[in-house]
Amino acid sequence: MTLFRCLPYVLRQVVRHRVRSFLTIAGIGVAMFLYTAVQAMNNGVTDATTATANDTTLVVYRKDRYCPATSQLPQDYLRRIQSVEGVVSATPMKIVVSNCRTSLDVVTFRGVPKDDFIAERADEINVVAGSFDDWLKRTDAALLGETLASRRGLRPGMTFDAAGITAYVAGVIRSEDLQDQNVAYTALEFVQLAGRDQLGVVTQFNVKVEDASQLERVGSDIDEIFDTAQEPTATFSEKAFIGRVADDIIELVSFARWLGIGCLAAILALVANSIVLGVQSRLSEHAVLQTLGYSGRLVAGLIVIEGVILAVIGGVLGAVGAIGVARYGNFALSVEGASIPIVADASLLATGLLVCAVIGVAAGLVPAWQASRREIAECFRSV
Amino acid sequence: MTMIECRQLTREYRKGDAVIRPLDGLNLDVPRGDFLALMGPSGSGKTTLLNLIAGIDSPTTGSLVIEGTDIGTLSRNQLAAWRSEHVGYVFQLYNLVPVLTAYENVELPLLLHKMTRRERHDRIMGALERVGIADRETHFPRQLSGGQEQRVAIARAIVTDPPILVADEPTGDLDKPSAHSVMSLLQGLNKELDKTIIMVTHDPKTTDYATRTLHLDKGRLVESGAAVGEGAPA
Repeated sequence: MTLFRCLPYVLRQVVRHRVRSFLTIAGIGVAMFLYTAVQAMNNGVTDATTATANDTTLVVYRKDRYCPATSQLPQDYLRRIQSVEGVVSATPMKIVVSNCRTSLDVVTFRGVPKDDFIAERADEINVVAGSFDDWLKRTDAALLGETLASRRGLRPGMTFDAAGITAYVAGVIRSEDLQDQNVAYTALEFVQLAGRDQLGVVTQFNVKVEDASQLERVGSDIDEIFDTAQEPTATFSEKAFIGRVADDIIELVSFARWLGIGCLAAILALVANSIVLGVQSRLSEHAVLQTLGYSGRLVAGLIVIEGVILAVIGGVLGAVGAIGVARYGNFALSVEGASIPIVADASLLATGLLVCAVIGVAAGLVPAWQASRREIAECFRSV
Repeated sequence: MTMIECRQLTREYRKGDAVIRPLDGLNLDVPRGDFLALMGPSGSGKTTLLNLIAGIDSPTTGSLVIEGTDIGTLSRNQLAAWRSEHVGYVFQLYNLVPVLTAYENVELPLLLHKMTRRERHDRIMGALERVGIADRETHFPRQLSGGQEQRVAIARAIVTDPPILVADEPTGDLDKPSAHSVMSLLQGLNKELDKTIIMVTHDPKTTDYATRTLHLDKGRLVESGAAVGEGAPA
């Protein structure tokens, strides 16, 4: 309660030591911006590659191929895949990407049979602008994922060029499936005709199975059917497939975690430095407070709270900045048609605040303890 | 009635192998309402005695009983609570918090006590008016003269209404008119509010405001002055 009553004193210290507070908060903000950005990428990788009980999608790819340009499967595999026990539906998909390298701005065309797509996915997909009808009417029509549309500034009625394909924007879709957010769905034939001799050729089949427990068995059955075919297949769960094609990104993001830990260490050092300097320069001030009747514990508490306030303000600014950039930039790490979105949500902000608060406490503990144990008379003698 | 009772009060410090003893078996009684001036050469133990009475230092041996409490037996936290109730400290260099206004500096001791904002405000303004500086409540220490800063420090010392005030060379950093003004103020607090005041000073003129003067040398009382403080010199 006494600590609460003394909060205005702490706030005045933060506000009126402007330069010290500004520099500390700015440093923490920059470090927290980096930490949050790394965490956002990390969250994207985790979301895109960690299997859950709701995952019932398999990706059937050309065996020993790693990119859409070289994975070429006959479209007539469809009938045999559909006949495998446990398969609910199968969608042939022709994928064309605007950039084969890893990039933050790749346009991925997914050519699909339109009627089948609507029959199977209409329940999961929300058209936020434009309409399915418009998409069905035109052969060059595309349904864009919301992330892609925002990033490229595309709206229904506009046309755009990417990967040598000119498409008309018929609608913008929102979906729980992260992969849908960053692609352009078009008619299968439209994408096949964009390439030379590609009619009847698809990149992959997306196969829905009855439940997640059957993924492995159905995948093995499919690969067994085509084992001796001219174009053998390799079938993976969708998350495992993304993990496979985005292996390089995952490795880089894993390494970036060390950068995140480095940022936390930088925040700790900044707050600790600020508090230690503050405590040293206010040696007599703390002695005066104790002379007035403030206990050592209370003085220690005030020092720790000051550290927490600085850390949390810097943390909020840095985290909000990073989340804002990630959200409004609509970035997604794309490689070989697979997309890893940068996931920056409120939980990331909450985590950042918690981390900063803990660091603020940790950074203040030692100087606070030292200040609380100092002999008052000794402090006056040393000033 | 004795308010402060020192018996065989000794304070020792270790500095390397050497033992320094600024107070050496001192006996002293201070009655309630006394205005005691302590004089003596540097290192005679004046400030050490003042710090012991203020509860910011602890005796090595001997007893120090203030209003029936042997403060040498109190824990650090108990001593802090005791200080907030019983003692106001006036420093030579004022020791105001530079980033706080006069009002906020005076408010500091009251933050330890549970009271309404209104009550706190009234007490702060009462203390500032008492020392004649209410019109400077929003000023920061750097915007005040030395005499004004010391007045704010005195307001901070009396705002909780403690029975004892200790002052360590309160005029040591002030010019003559300011010193006179501060000493008159302390004398008024002693006479009108019955505060027991123990003041360390090097300036013989300031002892005229006290009711008695004691001299210390090498940690012991060497001479007692007669009571002289019936009135301040004009």
